[in-house]
Amino acid sequence: MRVVTSLLFLLILLFASCDKKTKPKAPIDYKGFTYTPAGELSPKKSGTGRKGDNYVYAPNIRFPIESGNAYINSQVYGVGGYLGEKGSLCDKRNYAYPWHDNYCEKRGWSMPLCSGGKGHQGVDIRTATCEKKRYYAVAVEDGIITYIGQYTIKLRGLSGRTYRYLHLDSHSIQVKRGQKIKRGTRIGLVSNNMGKTATSIHLHFDMKQTIKIGNRSKSVFVPPYTSLVEAYKRLLRGEP
Amino acid sequence: MRLFSLILFTLLSLNAGGILPIDWSKVNSTQQQKASIPYPKKLIEGIKEVRLPVYLSSSYVYDKSIMIVADKGFYSISFVVNGATLLFEGDRTYQEAVSPKNPEFQKIVQKTRAVEISQSEGIMMAEFNRHGANYAISVECEKPKTDKRCTNEEFIRTLYAKLTMVGGHP
Repeated sequence: MRVVTSLLFLLILLFASCDKKTKPKAPIDYKGFTYTPAGELSPKKSGTGRKGDNYVYAPNIRFPIESGNAYINSQVYGVGGYLGEKGSLCDKRNYAYPWHDNYCEKRGWSMPLCSGGKGHQGVDIRTATCEKKRYYAVAVEDGIITYIGQYTIKLRGLSGRTYRYLHLDSHSIQVKRGQKIKRGTRIGLVSNNMGKTATSIHLHFDMKQTIKIGNRSKSVFVPPYTSLVEAYKRLLRGEP
Repeated sequence: MRLFSLILFTLLSLNAGGILPIDWSKVNSTQQQKASIPYPKKLIEGIKEVRLPVYLSSSYVYDKSIMIVADKGFYSISFVVNGATLLFEGDRTYQEAVSPKNPEFQKIVQKTRAVEISQSEGIMMAEFNRHGANYAISVECEKPKTDKRCTNEEFIRTLYAKLTMVGGHP
């Protein structure tokens, strides 16, 4: 009897683990803010994320949008996106929880930490409403502005990590190259700037750091999603 | 399950950062070149603190649009040239360390080529490791979809091929 019970228990465990593999996990709820786990991309056709990596690569950073709700989801595969469901980019489904990670989303770009070696280098963040030049992107940590390009701004944090902010309105930039800034300093307004070719209204945010492997090293874009989830929770608690 | 174990192994082997060693004996024997015309004062002043070899494409060493942000462990030098921003970066810091036995990173290191060229967000990028430090060249265009410097690898490969050491010291 004990053997049968043990076998039954083992079978239940086996089924439970199989179930976990096939069914996506339910979004996690934090005081009304819901998000799906890191690496679970949506829709499925958007690619394979870096599942199971819940490491917070940039602990204690500030959320990169100054105020208001923000939504992390796909620009390309979301409603109105280039490969998404037909509709408006301003569709309310794009401006709703839960968050969906889009690091490693299908792209042709070299990305060693993505399965297959290619994918999206960061995450796309929508502001509270579908309006350009209304919400400020801010410094996630104390650091120095190392680069202001056509539509990219680079902040090198005291941690040594480099953060890229893309698509800010170029006329609203509040920082200068070489300027040392504090966490929370306004950088510029989130917009759709991509030089003379407009993109959708969002902030592309990514984090690059160097990883030492024995006596060698490599600079890689690391997953920002878990760091941003933690930062957003702090923002919601009023502790940015 | 294998992926989960791999990631777990990665995370357990992560450590805090530091400074990467530079093999200056190799730098001095293979890279140091003397310029026939003295480098611009702005360049010399801007990189005087940098403790890693500083590389620029020889075509732009004397370009007047030069902008420099640098410290002991890194440099970022950019130029605006006909509607494109060219960026040369070097960095000898690291933020995490993983065990050399880590299977994921072993694979990544084995796959790494001498120079990795990629295009993302309309930006053309070349990344490489030299003498222990990490370097990147980026080209960001005002018209990323039509400017050949951002759609074709040829321009960035030329920038890479023409790299010359302009400064940096132990």
